[in-house]
Amino acid sequence: MTTDAIVVDDLVKYYGDVHALDGITFRVRAGSIFGLLGRNGAGKTTTLECCIGLNRPTSGSVRIADLDPGNSRDLGKLRRLFGVQLQSTSLPEKATVGEVLTLYAAYYSIRPRAAEMAERVGLEGKLDRQIVQMSGGEQQRLALALALQHDPEIIFLDEPSAGMDAFGRRILWAEVEKLRDAGKTIVLTTHYIEEAQRLCDTICVVQRGKIVAEDTPANLIARFGGAARVSVRANGFAPDSELRSLGTWVQSGDEWQLVTAAEPGLALAAVVTKANVARATITSLDMHRPDLEDAFIALTGERLGEGQ
Amino acid sequence: MNLLRMFLTQTRMNFTWYFQRDGEMIFWTLAMPVFFLVLFSFAFSSGPSTRTSTFLVPGIIGAQVLSSGFWGVGVMLATFREKHLLRRIYLTPLPSWIFFASLVAYRVTLLATQAVILIAVGALVFHVKINGNPAEILFILLLGTATFVSLGTIIGALARTTESANNIASILTVPLAFLSDAYIPIDRFPQPTPELLRLLPSTQFIEIFRAVSTAGASLTEYRGWILALCIWTIAGTVISARSFRWT
Repeated sequence: MTTDAIVVDDLVKYYGDVHALDGITFRVRAGSIFGLLGRNGAGKTTTLECCIGLNRPTSGSVRIADLDPGNSRDLGKLRRLFGVQLQSTSLPEKATVGEVLTLYAAYYSIRPRAAEMAERVGLEGKLDRQIVQMSGGEQQRLALALALQHDPEIIFLDEPSAGMDAFGRRILWAEVEKLRDAGKTIVLTTHYIEEAQRLCDTICVVQRGKIVAEDTPANLIARFGGAARVSVRANGFAPDSELRSLGTWVQSGDEWQLVTAAEPGLALAAVVTKANVARATITSLDMHRPDLEDAFIALTGERLGEGQ
Repeated sequence: MNLLRMFLTQTRMNFTWYFQRDGEMIFWTLAMPVFFLVLFSFAFSSGPSTRTSTFLVPGIIGAQVLSSGFWGVGVMLATFREKHLLRRIYLTPLPSWIFFASLVAYRVTLLATQAVILIAVGALVFHVKINGNPAEILFILLLGTATFVSLGTIIGALARTTESANNIASILTVPLAFLSDAYIPIDRFPQPTPELLRLLPSTQFIEIFRAVSTAGASLTEYRGWILALCIWTIAGTVISARSFRWT
């Protein structure tokens, strides 16, 4: 039997005439990783803020571990139950890593574990480093340590890898996977396809304050990713009837592209064999499996990539 | 026990982060008031005069109490909100009253240090005598701090940005320092101006503080004004608590 750690029902948030959230509904199974995937301004952060009591929805309800974050008594209990990593850096500039971890240990009435936590997020030997001297990625990793030090059951991560380099992202992802193995419930917002695909058990695609699809990454790709494609450039090559049975061939210039529902690896092998038999010289060969980005584009009509 | 640990750790961090590691703060809170005392002691009379300095020492300490409330707490809270420090703290189990108590503890300790330095410089350089009851001096200093911290918190609660908090604090602190008997004796103004200015909580606080610390007066002589300061404090606290926003 599975239980829902988080139940979000028909969240609506207006800022004046702007509909930041336009009816967001989802459930997060206890012990799973749930991702809100969307572009900046889609409503991911507002949804998360409504879950942690930082924002009040115009209408709709949120239940976290059967408590209401909009109720101050419930929020008091929830604060010990959840850990939060916020998007913007929100620590005093002159504070050191060790001091912040020590102070937060006092907030939660737990034994300080500054050195251990610093090591967990790859900040070992940096306990005396001040916030102002740290890179954005290092600050994010410290924020992660602060979210986890009191060993919460439910963890909210708002764009956790924003500003992180490859090293930071590796640490973050490994940490999130360890938390999943420990049975924690995690909600994260992201606009990184790779992060969502690698970490999330369930992904909600959010666009303009609405959920446009919710499923596992594999199912989202299968349902919305479209067909696989094999592209080949070879002089003197043309698909014969056997190759044509694999799918639809489209010719553009000297390039032939096969759109196929079959396993693209097998189609690729067949193409190579035929080209060899016909003694055609292959100048380029490419295979594309549908991925989460294809599904995202199909669902929203927009690209997700950075720098939008 | 846990609450005490939160309070002590937070207070210690306030000192380390906002005072010890901030050269500007050290200058404004420790060097500047002493500089004012020396400068005005010479400027307001033909030479160093014990009478002028005896007026100035409690006046400058009183002005520091005002700016501690308006800048040190009011503007600081607006800055904390703008830098998203408040929303991060709001997510932790730290009770809000402990957060405020440790901010006040930090400012009170700083004010006490400032007072000791000013009194010491006054005594050594200008022969200023402090002949009041130490317990009564401490009481009125704490009451004044409570009054202006609670009023300053309203600025921190209502100002949307650090900039507007800064403007409100400047508009209040600078004229009040000159109209509240801190630097210039208000009795030099024509009547009824001094009596009107004595309706201000800042004037009342500074005059009680001066009377108790340097004239050896007793607090009981100022029951009415002390009650007024208590009412300002309660009103300020209620308004702050109702209008304070963490985000």
